[in-house]
Amino acid sequence: MDNKIIPMSENAKCSCGASIIGVFPCAGASNVGQLSNAIAVELHKQGIGNMMCTVGIGGKINGLLKSAEGCDSIIVIDGCPLKCAQATMEEAGIPIGKHILLTDMDIKKNKDLDIDPAQVKEVLSKVTELL
Amino acid sequence: MKIEILGTGCPKCNKTKKFVEEAVAQAGVDAEIVKVEDMDGILAYGVLITPAVVVDGEVKIVGRVPKVDEVIEWITK
Repeated sequence: MDNKIIPMSENAKCSCGASIIGVFPCAGASNVGQLSNAIAVELHKQGIGNMMCTVGIGGKINGLLKSAEGCDSIIVIDGCPLKCAQATMEEAGIPIGKHILLTDMDIKKNKDLDIDPAQVKEVLSKVTELL
Repeated sequence: MKIEILGTGCPKCNKTKKFVEEAVAQAGVDAEIVKVEDMDGILAYGVLITPAVVVDGEVKIVGRVPKVDEVIEWITK
């Protein structure tokens, strides 16, 4: 996995080019939550989508809500069946284009927060196939 | 009233500025129009897509060019 740090200044994307796809991970406090975040980072780095702040949607932060509304489509990545990210988006009235649930990929939820780069790579491949 | 147009100078950003200027002229309101091209300034609003329009600190639209009528509604409320 490439651990290159993306400068924040690169994170505001101009809408003049291709369609804007927002990626919202649950980023929860479990292995699958942290995995959702890692997958979102990789999708962002690969230019497949634009990682955005799910917690900002829950917090009803004006600029982040408007950014989500400005997306052409939305991908939500939840780690577990609690589907917190999906619920957050629904509560805010933001339509979800694609919902991905990582525990549907034969990954058991646990409290380990250290994610395995090899697993990130493997799950990223599966997620990319679903998009 | 302060109206900020967030964007890096792309065609949509420039069109947004033009429409905002038209709206201000049509509405006859006293407004300071500021173009924010600095990414730190854009991200400070939580805006992740440009263009965006901010009226008195409130983000009104992100990722698309507003209609003149929309802007008039924002600035005359």
